[in-house]
Amino acid sequence: MKRRRQAGLTLAAVVALCAALPLALGPYTLGVGLNLLMWIALAESWATFSGLSGYVSLGHAVFYGVGAYVTVLSWNVLPLWLGVSLGGLAAGLLALCLGWPCLRVRGPYFVILTLGISEFVKYVVISIEAALGRNGRLLIGTPSLTILFEAMLALAVLSMATLQIVRSSRLGAGLLAIREDEVAAEAVGINAAALKLFAFTLSAFIPGVVGGLMILRSTYFEPMQAFSPTTSFTIVTIAILGGSDKVAGPVLGAFFLVLLSELLWTRAPEIYMIILGALLIVFVLFVPEGLFGRAQRLLGWAAR
Amino acid sequence: MGVIFSSQLLASVMVLASLYALVAIGLNLVYGTMRLLNVAHGELVMLGGYIAYWGFARWGISPLLSTFIAMVAGAAVGALVYVAIIRHLFRSTRVLARVEANSLLAFFGISVVIQNVTALAFTANQRGYSYMDEVLLIGDLRIAANRVLALAIAATACIACALFFRYARSGMAMRAVIQQRDAAALVGIDVDRINIQVFALGFALAALAGTLISMTQQISPFMGFPFTVSAFVIIILGGLGNLTGSIFGALMLAAVEVYGAALISPSFRSILVYGVFIAVLLLRPEGLLGRSIAAR
Repeated sequence: MKRRRQAGLTLAAVVALCAALPLALGPYTLGVGLNLLMWIALAESWATFSGLSGYVSLGHAVFYGVGAYVTVLSWNVLPLWLGVSLGGLAAGLLALCLGWPCLRVRGPYFVILTLGISEFVKYVVISIEAALGRNGRLLIGTPSLTILFEAMLALAVLSMATLQIVRSSRLGAGLLAIREDEVAAEAVGINAAALKLFAFTLSAFIPGVVGGLMILRSTYFEPMQAFSPTTSFTIVTIAILGGSDKVAGPVLGAFFLVLLSELLWTRAPEIYMIILGALLIVFVLFVPEGLFGRAQRLLGWAAR
Repeated sequence: MGVIFSSQLLASVMVLASLYALVAIGLNLVYGTMRLLNVAHGELVMLGGYIAYWGFARWGISPLLSTFIAMVAGAAVGALVYVAIIRHLFRSTRVLARVEANSLLAFFGISVVIQNVTALAFTANQRGYSYMDEVLLIGDLRIAANRVLALAIAATACIACALFFRYARSGMAMRAVIQQRDAAALVGIDVDRINIQVFALGFALAALAGTLISMTQQISPFMGFPFTVSAFVIIILGGLGNLTGSIFGALMLAAVEVYGAALISPSFRSILVYGVFIAVLLLRPEGLLGRSIAAR
């Protein structure tokens, strides 16, 4: 109990320290920090569903994109906080509607189905925008980087807390059972369909809000970019690199990835993507437990 | 009604279907023998296209000759991917369900690597070259010569494949592995060797399709994924593991695409293909024509 309280205090101190960072950092470093928090928020929420249930979603870009799109549509119509929250809710609603038919599909079919749906929605939004005669929308007067940073920090914390809470709840235990053997899980009375749908919806909300915040950062909406499958791919890579079903895994993965991207993305985007792809292959083949699992094993910690 | 029977559209369907069939047979082979969804399949189409383009633009090699070069290169990449990655995946992962999901991630990684290596080498710009692009007049049909050529070569290759699976020893062995993997191993078929051959043949067919496609349209490093999706729709329509079904599936998808674009609007093409893709996955993942593959 005492140890838990200490850990809680340390965490609170770290979060408070992060919240104070905008006072100390320049705009460039703060931007990097924003990216880092974004990937943490995205990967943690992905892990809440895919990491625990083993249903690998390659379509989380669709939730990010929908959040961004709703935020852009409500720009100057609704108060900003409402628009961004609506983006998250829209993403959750989409997941609820999609999840009902899709979650019956298993294994590799589910993976490729999520990718297909994400692309489908992308092209639908493109043709809606084309029919409206808009190609690209510019947002003027978006909030400052500091505000976005603080909001993203809150999201990242929320996302981590969600994963931790779900992991240690009956829901998480049910999802893990589904991951190990869905038929057996149902046989012992787990309502697999309901658990999966709930977790899928839960894991879509935060990406929706993140999408809304990031569109305020980039101030330019273009469907090809907002719904880019690269987002999904990066999320999965982060989670696989870090080790995907513990809270610390995606954080580690995101640090690693943002570092790599800072070194390479602007100078050599192709090389960055090549390294990312190669890392995905290597980790799937040789380090299935991820960086965090490997570190734990090396340090000889007892598995929790 | 005139639109439906216009020879122009029928010719488009035939050309597209023959190319699709070529891509899909390769994907279906890999799926049928190993139950692996190769999402990097379209990347081989793209590589084939670049081999033809580079050979023609740089050294003036006829794209016809490039078809053979591309096939050899595709076969080499296929064998390499199997030996370096997939075989390892089979050995290191105990749970079969994990092999499927993990192989998909590995293939995805492969696809990203191939795309970006190509983008690094050739830039991300679209490329094209003109080869036999004079327009032929056959009856009231106007068609570019290179499309006729693509149709002829692709159709020949499909027929050759059908004959190969029916009469050749290793073709029959491949079908045996598709039908009953364990039983095939029991009667003395070297499954590991068949796997290598399947990867080599499947990738070679995709690369061949790529060279033909590059004669008729522009290519870019990121053109592959839509072909993967189309091929995937086709093998589901025609039946997973059912090789001749792929040809029917290709005809169906090509018809939907061409008539959809002609009757509704060309900009709906992507929506249409992805829509069919999703519908097919949700409604009948075991295929429209094929019997369901219950035994794994």
